[in-house]
Amino acid sequence: MWKRMAICLLGLCATAALAQEMTATDIIRKAMDHYRGLTSYSEMTMTIHRADWERSMTIQAWTEGEKRTLVRVVEPKKDAGNGTLSVDGNMWTYTPKINRVIKIPSSMMSQSWMGSDFSNKDVSKDTNIIDQYDHSLLEQYEKDGHQVYVIQSIPHEDAAVVWGKEILWVRDDWVLLEQQFWDQDGALMKTLKTLEIAPLGGRSVAVRMRMANQDKPEEWTELHTLVADFDVELPANSFTLSNLRNPRE
Amino acid sequence: MTLPLATLSTLAWRNLWRNHRRTLIMLIAIAIGVWAMIFTAALSRGMTEQMVRNGLQTLPGEVQVHHRDYRRDPSVANSMAPPAGALLEALDQPPVKAWAARVRVPAVISSERGSRSVTLLGVDPAAEQALGSLPETIIEGRSLDLADDTGIVIGASLARRLETGLGKRVVIMSQDPDNDVAERGVRVVGLYRARLQGDEDRFVYAGRSLVQEMLGIGDAVSEIALTADDYRGVEGWYPQIAAAAGPELEVLPWTELDTFLGSILAVQDGFTLVFMVVVFLALSFGLVNTLVMAVFERVREIGLMQALGMRPGLILGQVMLESLYLLCLGLLLGNLLAVATIMPLESGIDISRVAQGMEMMGMSTILYPALHRFDMLMSTAVVIILGLLASIAPAWRASRLDPVTALNRD
Repeated sequence: MWKRMAICLLGLCATAALAQEMTATDIIRKAMDHYRGLTSYSEMTMTIHRADWERSMTIQAWTEGEKRTLVRVVEPKKDAGNGTLSVDGNMWTYTPKINRVIKIPSSMMSQSWMGSDFSNKDVSKDTNIIDQYDHSLLEQYEKDGHQVYVIQSIPHEDAAVVWGKEILWVRDDWVLLEQQFWDQDGALMKTLKTLEIAPLGGRSVAVRMRMANQDKPEEWTELHTLVADFDVELPANSFTLSNLRNPRE
Repeated sequence: MTLPLATLSTLAWRNLWRNHRRTLIMLIAIAIGVWAMIFTAALSRGMTEQMVRNGLQTLPGEVQVHHRDYRRDPSVANSMAPPAGALLEALDQPPVKAWAARVRVPAVISSERGSRSVTLLGVDPAAEQALGSLPETIIEGRSLDLADDTGIVIGASLARRLETGLGKRVVIMSQDPDNDVAERGVRVVGLYRARLQGDEDRFVYAGRSLVQEMLGIGDAVSEIALTADDYRGVEGWYPQIAAAAGPELEVLPWTELDTFLGSILAVQDGFTLVFMVVVFLALSFGLVNTLVMAVFERVREIGLMQALGMRPGLILGQVMLESLYLLCLGLLLGNLLAVATIMPLESGIDISRVAQGMEMMGMSTILYPALHRFDMLMSTAVVIILGLLASIAPAWRASRLDPVTALNRD
C-alpha cells in the first residue's frame, strides 16, 4: 500500500518536474524541430478547395534547419517543375515555362502561395514563431494517452506579424495538433488543423493538415504528406538558386 | 478748322445719353460681360492655385534634392547621405525658409485582413512641421513626436481599407539596399485625414530613424525638400541650392518635379485670355449694333455737321469717343461688380456636392476664387482694344456719308 502510494507520488513529481523543465518556448521549438528535423525530405499532395472548384498538386519539399526550404511541384504536368526556394526569409520562385528565377518582392510576401490558403510568408517564415513571439502555457490536458499542451503565443511589439495572437495545441510527442491565428480584436481568423496523424519516417507525423479561413468555410487547403524522411543527407548546394533552376537528383 | 477736343467729347457724351435706355442696356451688357470675364478668371485661378498648393504640399516643397538616380528608380539603394557642408549651409540661410530630409520608399502595409502598397515616409516631425508637409488633421490619436517615434500615422481611408485602427499593430515591409525583405511590426498611433482621399491611401508616416533602422541604411535619406515660400519665383533662387549640392545630387524645382503642375500656371494665362475674347465676341455684336443704330438715327444731323464744315475725321472720332465712353463706363461697372462679388467669396465656396470629380483633378472640395489685378487689367485691355476695333466700321460709315444725300433723307 505505502509502496504503491510512493510510486504514485514519484510519478506525479516526475510529471511536474517535466512540465517545469519544459517552458512554452521549448515546446514550440520541439514541435518545429519535430516536423522539420535537422534536415527533411517529404512528398505531399496539396489540395486547394474552393466553393466551385478544387485542384490538387503533388509537391516535394526539402528543409534544412529553420531557415532553408525548397519546394518543387511534381504534378500536375502543367505545373511540374515550378519551384520555390526560401533562404533566411527571402524567397525566389522558378517557372520552367518562362525559364526565369524571380525573387518575390516584399510587396508580394503576404500574397497567396501557388493559389493556396498559405501566404508566401507562411511558407518562407514558418519558424519565425519561435523567436518573434512570447509563449505561455495556457493549459495542459491528457487525450488518447498523450499530454497536450495549449500554448498562447503573442508576437513581440516589433515583430513583422499581423496577428494579435496564435494558439497552438502540441502533443507530447511534438506533433502540432492545431494552430489558430487570431486578430487583434480577439476574433479567430485562420486555423491550421491536423486531421490525421500517422507514423512516417520513424516518427509520428501530422500527415493531413488543413488551413481554413474562418470567414469562408468553403475555402481551405489541405496538405497530405505521403512520404517523409528526417535527418537525411542533403547535398551542400540544395538551397541555391542554381539548384532551384536545374534540379539535380 | 479744328474743333477742340473738349467740344468733341461733350458732343459724344451728350449723344450717348440721348437714347439713355439703349445706352443703359448696353452698359449693363458690357458690365455683365466684364464681370463674367473676371469672375471666371478668378474662379479658375483659384482652382489652379489650389492645385499648385496642394501639389506642393504633397510633393512636398518647392525644390527637392535627390540622389541622381532616385527619380528614375525610387528605391532605397538610391539614397544619399544627410546634407552636410556647403549644402547644409545653403539650406540654413535665406531664401530657404524650411527644409526637411526624409526617407521615402515604396512599401507594403498589412493588417490581419489586407495589405496595400503605400509610400512610406520616414520623417523628422519638427522639420516637416516647418515645411507644412505633415497631414494637417489628425482625427484620432496623435501625430508623430520625434524622429525616433516608434509608431506610425496612417490615413483614415487606408485604415478603413485594411480594417485596422488606432492602437492596432500592422506590419510594414519594404526592401533594403541588398533587395532583401526589410520588415517590422509597428503600432498605429494616429489616423489622419487629407484633403484628397488618394493621399490618405498612399502616404504612411513613420519616424525617420525607425525607417532608417528597418532598412539598414544608417542615417541616409532619400529626399530633401525645401521651401522659400515663393513658388512662382523658384527659377530665380533654386540654382544656388543646386550649386551648393554639387554634381552628385539632383536638384529640381517643382515645375520639373511635377511637370503637370508646372505647366498649369502657363496654361492658365492662355486659357483666361481665350475665354475673355470669346465672351467679348458675344458682346461685340451688341456694341456694334448700338453704334450702328446711333449713327443711323443721326444721318441728317451728321449731314448737317458735314455741311457746316465738320471734317470726316472728327465725325469718326466722335463716334469712336462715344464707343470709348460706353466701354469705359461698362468696364468700371463690371470691375466694381466683380470686386464686390469675389471679395466676400474669397474665404471659399463649398462645392463638396461635386467633390469626387474635383478630387480626380487633384483639387479640394472648397473653391477659393482668387482676384488678380492682372486678370482685371487683361479684361480691360481686351474690351477696350477689341471694342474700339469693332466700332471702327460704324464710325467709318458715319464719316463717309455724303452731306447732300444725308440732308435730304427723311
